[in-house]
Amino acid sequence: MNLALLGGAVLNGLVTGMLYALMGVGLSLILGLLNIPNFAHGVLYAIGAYVLVSASKAFGFLGGAVAALAVVAVLGALIEWGGVRRLYRVHPDYILLLTFGLSLILTEAIILVWGPVGITFQPPALLAGAVDLGVTTYPKYRLLVMVVTGALVLACYLFVTRTRWGAIIRAGIEDKDMAAALGINIRRVFTLTFAAGTGLAGLGGALMAPVRGLLPTMGLDILPFAFVVVVLGGLGSLPGAILAGLLVGVVQSLMTAIWAPGADASVFALMTLGIIARPQGLLGQR
Amino acid sequence: MLEGRRGAVVRVALLLAAIVVLPLVVRPVVASEIWIFSIAAMALNLIFGYTGMLSFGQATFFGLAAYTAGLLMIHWQAPLLVVLAAGTLVGALAAALIGYVCIQRVGVYFIMLTFGFNQMFYFIAYKWTSLTGGDDGLPGIPRPPLALGPLGIRLDTSVRYYVFVAAVFLLAFYAMKRVVDSPLGVIFQSIRENPGRAAAVGYDVKRYKWLAFTIAGGFTGLAGVLYSMMFGIVPLESISWIISGDIVFMVLIGGIGNLYGPLLGAAAFKWLSETVSIVWERWPLILGVALVLVVLFLRGGLVEAFARLREATAGRGAEA
Repeated sequence: MNLALLGGAVLNGLVTGMLYALMGVGLSLILGLLNIPNFAHGVLYAIGAYVLVSASKAFGFLGGAVAALAVVAVLGALIEWGGVRRLYRVHPDYILLLTFGLSLILTEAIILVWGPVGITFQPPALLAGAVDLGVTTYPKYRLLVMVVTGALVLACYLFVTRTRWGAIIRAGIEDKDMAAALGINIRRVFTLTFAAGTGLAGLGGALMAPVRGLLPTMGLDILPFAFVVVVLGGLGSLPGAILAGLLVGVVQSLMTAIWAPGADASVFALMTLGIIARPQGLLGQR
Repeated sequence: MLEGRRGAVVRVALLLAAIVVLPLVVRPVVASEIWIFSIAAMALNLIFGYTGMLSFGQATFFGLAAYTAGLLMIHWQAPLLVVLAAGTLVGALAAALIGYVCIQRVGVYFIMLTFGFNQMFYFIAYKWTSLTGGDDGLPGIPRPPLALGPLGIRLDTSVRYYVFVAAVFLLAFYAMKRVVDSPLGVIFQSIRENPGRAAAVGYDVKRYKWLAFTIAGGFTGLAGVLYSMMFGIVPLESISWIISGDIVFMVLIGGIGNLYGPLLGAAAFKWLSETVSIVWERWPLILGVALVLVVLFLRGGLVEAFARLREATAGRGAEA
């Protein structure tokens, strides 16, 4: 393999990896706080992409991306408020099954609204074309996606670790009852965290639409990888999710360049090795 | 549910009656599918309903066994009973290997691991087209005759195959009942109820979980073999998360932790999918709505619905 090809593969891996990290951060926060693997996370990512396609016709690309974030975050809040909340006192398995059911419903809803056939979507004209990076030339839009998702992931990390709101979320992950006893409205924190986590997935879907195109099942295709990122990174550990996201993205992309049929399977092999070596995840505490 | 010996006799009689009546009510092919998926749902019920581990990757064992059976019959013309045994063994072995990793974690991690492994095998089957046929499925699977000593019983019509499937189902059901009613079954349930206490009284919780997972893998493999001969093709779907989700759905809609729940669930699921999917191809939408409603309002599934109905009618009878 020559250097240009290798460089391209690594860059592709970083783009995908940043997306995985973004999905993983949202999932990890929801998992840490609400103790559920959100099965609907994938389909909400897909809805973000579809909302972008429709909304960008009226508001342009940037407006479309903001709309995707807002619509999916509201949808996430509604899911938490109308469904998940009713099951906190029941076994967490049922919350998972609820989100699985919602995932089926929303996937079919996408097909009903936007049709079953795949859609391609062009990046904004300003960002069309490629730049020469010396080693290899690379599409401008993908570089931008890498930078933007990277910045979002970093912002999430700083928000959770450095702000008062973040401290409340961390307190909730540590001990919900104690946080509630100290006068924190933990229910509202749950709703807002769910909304924020899913909203990020929606924005991720919107940003990836010009890179990967749109398909009603696109969310289900990416969901297992987001799960791998969370498992590999460690429960509630944001640096873990970020590290695992980049690792998974780069491994997948390099394997695609070396031996494409084994690319997806290699990610799960990586997870297996990770679990055997470190059952608590790369940077997990428990 | 009726209790005691009389109740048990009634339930078994109802089950046998259902086996006879079912192919008259629905097409024999659908009836066969119902018992095949009953076996798979029974297996998930053993680990989810009785041992408390929700596996979202049962299609791994279902699909691996189906592909194994298909390849054995296509390339080596393997006889029927050999294929059944091989598929069951492959299901159990795969479950032993995968289960060993998965049971290292509990709760949501366990679920995500089973789901992740399922996807891994799905992608392998999808990409390894020379072996599995990939997206097109593995076609051309024969249905060898059932050789019992010198006797060779052909299973060429769908009714004959139904009788065979029903017989295998009954054997599997009996085996599962023996497992659940045995001291081992009680240990499984104690792990579901309180893993910490089960460990405290001296049971090696991880080993028993592993055992339950492996047994379930064997049953699921058996179902996979029967499925492969059903339409003469192993579709890629048979190893996908869709089947895993379907099996979870069947157990849930039927009622978890009850020996008969998964059978009701499988019957309701297959019958619904058969009738509704003809009318409307967006049938997963209805499935999703049903799942959400069951989870929110009827977590005991159909078994609980019947119990509630019985209570309601009994209460009315007492008043009159």
